[in-house]
Parts: sequence; structure tokens; C-alpha cells
Amino acid sequence: MKTLRKNTASLIALVLLGSVSVTLVPQPAEAAKWTPRASEKLIKLPGDHLRRAVENDFRKSELASAISQADEKVGYKKSTLEDLKAALNKNAGADDEVQMDLEYQLIGEKQAYLSLARERQQLKRKKAKTRIRLYEKLLAKMTRKEASMSPQKAQLVEQQKQAQNRFQGSLGKIDTELMQSSVTSQSRYATEYAQNMAAIENLVAAINNHPMNQAPTVDGVQVTQADFVRNMIAQNQAEIALIDQEDMVLGYMAKLVSLDALALAENISVAENGADIVAVEEPKSTITSTVDLFISN
Amino acid sequence: MFRKTTFKLILAGILTFGTLSVGHAGTLESLERERANLLNIMLSGDIGMQERQSKLSAYQARLVDLERMVLRDKSLVGKNTPIVRSAFANYDLTFLVHASIEKDRLLMDHWFEQLGLTGQNILNTRVGRR
Repeated sequence: MKTLRKNTASLIALVLLGSVSVTLVPQPAEAAKWTPRASEKLIKLPGDHLRRAVENDFRKSELASAISQADEKVGYKKSTLEDLKAALNKNAGADDEVQMDLEYQLIGEKQAYLSLARERQQLKRKKAKTRIRLYEKLLAKMTRKEASMSPQKAQLVEQQKQAQNRFQGSLGKIDTELMQSSVTSQSRYATEYAQNMAAIENLVAAINNHPMNQAPTVDGVQVTQADFVRNMIAQNQAEIALIDQEDMVLGYMAKLVSLDALALAENISVAENGADIVAVEEPKSTITSTVDLFISN
Repeated sequence: MFRKTTFKLILAGILTFGTLSVGHAGTLESLERERANLLNIMLSGDIGMQERQSKLSAYQARLVDLERMVLRDKSLVGKNTPIVRSAFANYDLTFLVHASIEKDRLLMDHWFEQLGLTGQNILNTRVGRR
């Protein structure tokens, strides 16, 4: 019984802690870091290889080892909880004091589990946020390159496109005219250009079919590099939304732990008093009973 | 060991890609130079008709190649310099041979037409005091 009394005080403290944890007050940021750089080399990597490079960089970071350690701790704590639950079920209906001790331990372990799980959530959130920041930087660099064109340069590029189209459009006609002309026989440049072009076309076909040069795909559809990076940002935002939802689950778990602790504290108090608290009957109203005294005969 | 090799391979790959984008300079300058020579012959009063024609044909053949070199020169794409801007601002004058054949005109006629010197325009002129 002595142990139970001691436990009551601890349980009240636990209940209070439990209610605080429901509001999910953010804990101090973890020291584990991951600081990837949005380098030019990353931008040049094709689609899925970019994602793999980011993951490889993450795997070498402090944050990755912190997450893996947190996973391990949460796993151990979960098996402790399972063991305690099994012991509790085994002892059901037997010794009350042992049962209460076990319940007390279970609540304590649940509290520790929630604390570890919350820590892991924070690390996971940090990972997703860092990835989003990295992909946003990469996207900004990509779009900056496209937007860096001045109106004058844009006009030049447009004129060059038009010149190219006009040249390609009239190439056949010009070649025919030149072939008919007796003076202008095919130059060395023209002959060798045609030969080299054939070789280049073969090489370009081989490059296009090379597995390392495949355009990035999202759900089996080919997309641009910028679209691929946007998709990666969206995926990480979805991950953060899921972490938020899991936080809510943890919050409800914490609430349940605090309610369990409250119930256990009450049970201990009942066990100490030896009986249930009997509801005190309210005294009946005595005013109406005196009414008769005021009525004159 | 493998990591080192992989890194070196990636570096080699990047360097190779880099070399693919390196262009050759001076195609436009060569074209401008050759075109100036052609115009010089075209407008020269010191040479006879026969000689002018044979020289023009030779220059025309060289210009065809040079014009194609400029049009295929990737290093000129978006190269925002006065010479490149001016070259692509007027296709008919820069790519003289291609434009004249495209329009089924003689080189000389095409040139004069681009400068606004048509027969009709010349006939419409009158002598006057400045």
C-alpha cells in the first residue's frame, strides 16, 4: 500500500504532464543537422538521379543517423509496451496491487514512448523541410536561368529561330539550285558536313536511348526537369502534412494516457480508503415542511 | 576505391558534356569579311563583266558554306553582341546567297532590292540641287 501512495503523487504529476503534451508544445530543435547544397552539379543531373543524389547526401548526414537511432529507440519502447501489456493481461483478476503497479508502469512507459515518438516526428519534419528548401533552391536556380533573358536577347533568340526556320525551309530548294549550277560544285565543307551529320545522328540516337539520359517521369509520364523538382516539393509537403496528422494521433494518445493515469489515481485512492466514496445526500428542503406552521387555523 | 572511381567517372562525364557545348568563334566574322569582298567585286568599276561574273560565282560558293556555318553555329545562339544582333536582324542581307536563291533572284538584284535600289526607284529619281 505504501508503494501505491507514492505512486498516486507521481500519477498526478503524470496526468499533468499528459495534459500538457496534448497541446504538443514544440520541443527544442534537435542538434542533428543536414545541410545539402543546391549546386550546379545537382541541377545537371537527370530526373531520378537528382533524387538519388539528394538521398545519398542525406544518408551521410547527422540527421539520418539521428532518425535511425530514434527509430530504434521507438522500436524498443514499443516492445517494452507490448511486454507490459501482456503481463497485465496475464495478471488480470489476480493480485490487485501487482495489477496497479503494472498499470502504473505501463502508463509511464506509454509516456516515454510518446516522448520518443514526438522526437522522431520532429526529426522527420526537419528532413522533409530541408528537402523542400533544397528543391525550392534548385527550382529557383533553374527558373532564374530561364528568366535571366533580357528583352533584347529574347528578340535575338527569336530572330535566330526565324532564321533557322527559314534556312531549313529553303534548304532543299537551295541545294537543288546549287547542284544544277555548273560553277558551284559541292564544297569540302558540304560533303564532310553531310558525312559528319550522319554520324552525329547515329550518336544522338544512341544518346537519346541511353538509360542515363531518360527524361524524368512522374507516374510514367515524361516531364521537364523543373516539373520533376516541383513534384518532389509536393511529395515532401504531403509528407509534412502526414507528419502533422501523426502528431495529432500522438496528441490523442497522450490525452488517453493522461485519462488512464487519472483513472488509476482514482482507483488507488479508492483502494486506500477501503470503499467507494458514498455520495452525500443533499438535505431535503425544509421550507415547505414549515408551511403548515404559518397557516392560521 | 569504388567511390573514388565513381566520382572520377562522373567528373569525366561532366567534362565531356562541357566540351559538347563549346562552339567555334569567328564564323560570323568570316562571313562578314567574305560578303564585304563579294560586294566589293559586285560594285567595282575596274573589272570587266566576264571577270566579275567568274569571281562572283567563286565567292558565292564560299558564301554558301559560310552562311551555313553561321546558321549552324550553336555558340551564336543568344550571343547578345552588336555584330550578332545586327546579323540576325536582317536575314536577307546577312545570308545573301541563301535569300537570293530562295527568292529566285540574281545575287546583285537581291542586294540592290534590299537596299531599295530597284529600277523603278532609280527611274523615279530626278536631278536636283541640294
